Amino acid sequence: MSETILLDRRWIARGAERSSTLHFLLWLAPWVFLLLLGIYAAGLCFYYGLNQTNMDNRFAFGMWIFLDLSVIAMGAGAFFTGFLVYILKQNDLKPMLNSAVVIGLTCYSGAVAVLMVDVGQPLRAWFTFWYPNTHSMLTEVTFCISCYLLVLILEYIPVLLRNRQLRKIPSFLIFEHQFHKLVPVLAGVGTFLSFFHQGSLGGLYGVLRGRPFAYRQGFAIWPSTFFLFILSALAVGPSFLMLVVATAEKITGRQLVQQGVFRKLGFISGVLLALYIAAKAVDTYIWLNFTSPALGFGPVDFYSYWPLSSTFLFIATVPLGLFPAILFVVPRTARHRGLLLLAAVLTCGGVLLNRFVMTVQTLALPTLPFDEFLKYTPSWQEVATFGGVIAYGVIVYSLSYRYLPLFEAPKGEDKHVSLG
Amino acid sequence: MFPWVDGFHWTATHIIFLSLFFSAILIILSTLVRGIWRAYSDFRAHRATAMCWRENFIALPEADRRCRHQLAGRVDFRTCDNAFDCRGCPNYANFAELPASPPTGSAGVSFSNKLLYHRGHTWVRPEEDGSYTIGLDEFAQCLVGRPDSVKLPTQCEDIESEGIAWRMTKHGHEIRVRAPLTGTVVSTGGPDKGWYLKILPYGPVNLRHLLSGPEVAGWLAAETQRLQLQLCSSDAGPCLADGGTLLPDLMDAEPNADWDTVLGSTFLDS
Repeated sequence: MSETILLDRRWIARGAERSSTLHFLLWLAPWVFLLLLGIYAAGLCFYYGLNQTNMDNRFAFGMWIFLDLSVIAMGAGAFFTGFLVYILKQNDLKPMLNSAVVIGLTCYSGAVAVLMVDVGQPLRAWFTFWYPNTHSMLTEVTFCISCYLLVLILEYIPVLLRNRQLRKIPSFLIFEHQFHKLVPVLAGVGTFLSFFHQGSLGGLYGVLRGRPFAYRQGFAIWPSTFFLFILSALAVGPSFLMLVVATAEKITGRQLVQQGVFRKLGFISGVLLALYIAAKAVDTYIWLNFTSPALGFGPVDFYSYWPLSSTFLFIATVPLGLFPAILFVVPRTARHRGLLLLAAVLTCGGVLLNRFVMTVQTLALPTLPFDEFLKYTPSWQEVATFGGVIAYGVIVYSLSYRYLPLFEAPKGEDKHVSLG
Repeated sequence: MFPWVDGFHWTATHIIFLSLFFSAILIILSTLVRGIWRAYSDFRAHRATAMCWRENFIALPEADRRCRHQLAGRVDFRTCDNAFDCRGCPNYANFAELPASPPTGSAGVSFSNKLLYHRGHTWVRPEEDGSYTIGLDEFAQCLVGRPDSVKLPTQCEDIESEGIAWRMTKHGHEIRVRAPLTGTVVSTGGPDKGWYLKILPYGPVNLRHLLSGPEVAGWLAAETQRLQLQLCSSDAGPCLADGGTLLPDLMDAEPNADWDTVLGSTFLDS
């Protein structure tokens, strides 16, 4: 046992205080169980097919697509933090960068993994690349997410190579040193890709002319939901990042980043959230008064079905939108850590609700006179796969926190001693 | 995806969309290739050891990066930003002219004025035949005592200054000892012989990066102080400085101390 502990300690950075090996294993155990259950459920879907889910031809988007939309929005903190640090030179956010990369990587890889189960024919997943339908928003999403996942993997490599044992291998250390200098290029590409796939995920719904609840007018080829999804992802990314780091601080009992970093992220999140709410209000007004009536639908057609009533719209806009934006932006409340984190929770809740509404409510509402309001309850296999992705995220983040210098400010060029 | 694949159309949408996609892929892959190429170039130009050492150096806490002139008492405070390589330090000569005033108390371990010392706790002794003998200083010997195993380089093997000269293990802890000089190993010793390596440098040798005279006293005093702080238990109350000398075989005497951290600080291995 003592040898195992010593072996474990060898992989932890010198001087870093971490929980004992036993505590760490106990922490991991339930998450590993959840992950294994998720893998088993996904295996059932691969083996028997999508009849293991409660989706059907009418309700083709379910819990998994809700999960995908949500985690990809939450993972936006990765590209946005990279953009803020490397492109806009907001160097005080550097301590958050590694954490943002890990969160982004787990979110995107988890989403891609679930999509592979969701497509039903994973062996033909490559068709989307080989025979792309360039008029489809989904094609744009697939291309951009795949490329961005590659970017995130490459951004994670320098973080991984700073592990205590790996950095003893000179080739790894030199590669990390050199590759680190090139990461701003990846941050730029990542921003470009993320901008489009976040938008296209929204555009995916906005172009559904046959679904008046989701259909929107817009600018050029992009419906308004394209821009709303970008804005909401930009707002929720920093909030989610803040929440994850605050949770890690709570669990480990250590201050990992300065409070000022939280305040700055909160302020950015708040301003973007306020912009999003304003744009969403204008969009909703145009949709309810012009777009939707032109298709023969009024507000009563959308909001008269319990529980998906207008209350959802109100909750997503005011308590989970406007209120946290105010908490983030007003200096008096932003100084209070508890309120800052409350605002982050509410922001994440608001975006989750928005993604739920766009996915589930859009499909549940009747669109033809003989249609009924559809109900959908996910099967245990869907729930288990969902849980598996969450567990995967927790495990990867926990391992990264334990064995990698996650909160060490990444080296700037100034910190590298020049070679004479 | 390509013009020869079924479904491809020579339309603006196809061209723009696929061009953007391929551009992104190209940038990503070329960035990766560039990183690999740069790393490969560093290896070919024999910059790898120096870069690895510099990566280690910047990870050292500021207290462990004190300039030799501060250790000798020539200046009140100065941090080295030159990876302890005084050979390339432009201010070395200015500070070296100042009078030294090393600490008067005991450093806790003895040292010889005939030897030159490296910050990684090795000593260097020039021999008449042009070779240099390298051994562990008394501070390191007191800490480690008799190592459980020693892995020395083979004869004729080249070692680089600040690279890993040899490895030892003690109670499961790996100790990597840094080389104070660059050269070819001509003979190997061991703990029993009192020295570990004899090396023959490639050409003219500049030993300015090694500590000597009053600097050694100041450096060892600072190291002893660091060790005391690292070994004292976290629940210890306020204590008076006790001075004294280091006992031999400290790793055996204090098995529950955080030796991982202590060894890292001692042998400059972050």
